[in-house]
Amino acid sequence: MKRPRPPLTGWAFLAPYAIAVAVLVAVPALLNLGYAFTDHTGLTRDPQFTGLANVRRMLDDRFLLDSLEASLFHVALAVPVRFLAAVGLGLLLAAPRPGGRWFRTAVYLPTVIPDVALAVLFLWVLNPLYGPLNQLLGLVGHSGYNWLADPTTARIGVVLMLAFPIGEGFIVVLAARRLLDGRLYQAAALEGCGPFGQLRRLTLPLLAPVLVLLAVRDIILTLQVNFVPAYVLTDGRPANATLYLPVYIFDQVFEFSGFAYGSLVTILLMLITAVIITGLLLAVRRWRVLR
Amino acid sequence: MSDGPRGTIRLAALTRSYGRTTAVDGIDLEVRAGELITLVGPSGSGKSTILRLIAGLDRPDGGQVLVDGTDVAAVPPHRRAVAMVFQDYALFPHLTVLGNLTFGLRVRRVRRAEADRRARAAAERLGIGDLLERYPDQMSGGQRQRVALARALLRDPSVYLLDEPLASLDAQLRFATRADLLALHRELRTTTIHVTHDQHEAMTLGDRVVVLAAGRVRQVGPPQQVYDEPADTFVAGFLGSPPMNLVPGGGVLGGDEAMTLGVRPEDLTLDDAGPVTATVEAVEALGSEAILLTRCPDGTRLTVRTGPRPGVGPGDEVRLLADRLHRFDAATGRRR
Repeated sequence: MKRPRPPLTGWAFLAPYAIAVAVLVAVPALLNLGYAFTDHTGLTRDPQFTGLANVRRMLDDRFLLDSLEASLFHVALAVPVRFLAAVGLGLLLAAPRPGGRWFRTAVYLPTVIPDVALAVLFLWVLNPLYGPLNQLLGLVGHSGYNWLADPTTARIGVVLMLAFPIGEGFIVVLAARRLLDGRLYQAAALEGCGPFGQLRRLTLPLLAPVLVLLAVRDIILTLQVNFVPAYVLTDGRPANATLYLPVYIFDQVFEFSGFAYGSLVTILLMLITAVIITGLLLAVRRWRVLR
Repeated sequence: MSDGPRGTIRLAALTRSYGRTTAVDGIDLEVRAGELITLVGPSGSGKSTILRLIAGLDRPDGGQVLVDGTDVAAVPPHRRAVAMVFQDYALFPHLTVLGNLTFGLRVRRVRRAEADRRARAAAERLGIGDLLERYPDQMSGGQRQRVALARALLRDPSVYLLDEPLASLDAQLRFATRADLLALHRELRTTTIHVTHDQHEAMTLGDRVVVLAAGRVRQVGPPQQVYDEPADTFVAGFLGSPPMNLVPGGGVLGGDEAMTLGVRPEDLTLDDAGPVTATVEAVEALGSEAILLTRCPDGTRLTVRTGPRPGVGPGDEVRLLADRLHRFDAATGRRR
C-alpha cells in the first residue's frame, strides 16, 4: 500500500520564517563561529585560519577581564532589581482598585520610551550638579555622588536606568496573577492564611513556572541591553567599569577592526549566559517548583 | 460562646447588596444544632452569598450572623469554626493531596508529624488513603470531592458549609455521593448547610429545605411538606420535575378569577370519566414513567405524568382527572 504523502501546506506556511531564521540567524551564527578562529578584520575578503591564536590572545586580555567583571556585576545587581520590581508591582497592581489603570500605565510607560531617549534622560537624572537624584539626596542631607565619574556609582547608575523598562515582565506577572482562581485564596483565608502566608504558600508557588521563565529571559536580556546606556552614559568608562561585554564586542569589531576576536567574545558571552541559566534551573529544580 | 449545643446558626435580617443588585434581602433563618439544611433556588437567588456571609468571606450590609448565640461580625473567617467545601472544590493545584490536607494545620503551626497523622486519618475515613501523593489534576471529580470533604473534616468545625458539592459530578456519581454525604452527616451529626440548585438534592439531602428567590426566603420546611404544600406559585413551580401545572384563573380546572390553581403532573390521571379534555401533543417516554404534554381546547397546557407505556400518542384526545388541587391567590401568588 502506498502511504499518503503528508501535505506540504504546513511546510509552506513555515517557509518564510524558516528561511529568515536560516539566512538572518543560523548562517551568521555559523559564520561567526568560523570567523572566531581567523584573522578577519571585517574589512578584507580573505580571512586566514589562525587556529587558537585568538583564544591565546583572550587568555591574557586584561580588558576582557574588566569587561567580564563589569558584566557579571551588572547581571548580579540588575536581574534581582528588575525581577523584584516587575513581580512586586505586577502583584500589587493585579487586583482591581481605584486608579489602578493609571498606576499600571505608569509602570509600563518607561518600556515604551526608546532606549537612547531613556539614556539621555538619565544623563540628566544622574547629573551631579542639577540632576534630580542628587537633589533628592540633598533633601536628606547627603552631598550626593558624581554618579558617572566613579566606577561603582556609574555601574549603579546604569542599573538604576534599566530598573525602569520592566513593562513586559510586569504585564506577564499581572496576567498570570489574574488567572489564579480567587476561591483558592478564600479557601486559604478560611484556614487562617493571612496576606503574607497567601503570597508565600499560594501566589509564589503557583506563579513559579512563570517566574522562572521571566528570570531566564531577564538574564539573557540584561547581559545584552546594557549596551545602549553604557554607550550613551559612559562609553565604557570610568576605568572600564561599564565596559560590558556587548560594548567590548562592539569596540573590537567596529572600532578596532578585530572582527575575528569580537566573534570569539560573542561566543564567550553566549557560554556565560548558558552557564548562568543552567545554574538557575538547577537551583530551581532543588525547590521542586517545576513539576 | 454561650452554653448549649454547638453549631446553632441564626441569621437575623441579613442583607447584602452588590451595587444595585440585592443578593440577600433581609433573610431570617434559624438552623438547629446538628441539622442538615438545604438552601435551594435558581442562580442569583443569593444562596451562595448566604454561605459566604456565614463563613465570613463577605460582610453583610445589614443584619447579623449569630453562631451559638454570638454575633460573629468581628470574628475573622478562620476563627469561626466553620468549614467550607467550595463548588469545584478549590483544591490547591500545586500541592499533593497530603499537602492540601495539611495546609490548614501547617498554617496553624501544627507539627508536621502530627499534621500528617491527622491528614492520613481523615483521608482513610473518606477512602482516599491511597491517593495522598497525587496532585489534584491527576484525580477524578469524585476523588477531588472527597479530598475537599477531608480538608473540611480536618478543621473539626461546628458547622459545615457545602457550596454545590455535587454539581460537577456526573449523574451516576452524584447519586452515589449523595448517599455518602448523608451517611457522613449521620455519623458526624454536625450542623451542615448545603447549597444547591438541584431539586433532587434538595428533596433527598436536607432535614429541612429553604427555598430562596431573589434574595428572600420563600418557604422553609421538611422537603415533603414543602413539596406537598408549596407556600406560593414560585415554590410550586420550582420544586418538582416536571413542574406543577399552574392555571391562572382556574380555567379548565374550575375555580374563580381571583385564584391560580395548580396541579402536579402526577396528580393528573388519564380517566375516561375525567372532566378535562385535552389533546396529546408529545409523549416523553422515560422508561419507568412517561410524560404527556397536552393542550386543552382553551390553549392551557397541562403536563401529565403516567406510568410507562400510556397507550396514547400525539394527536390523541384524552380525558384527565385532577386530584389534590393547590389554590393560590392570583394577585399575590400566596397559598390560600
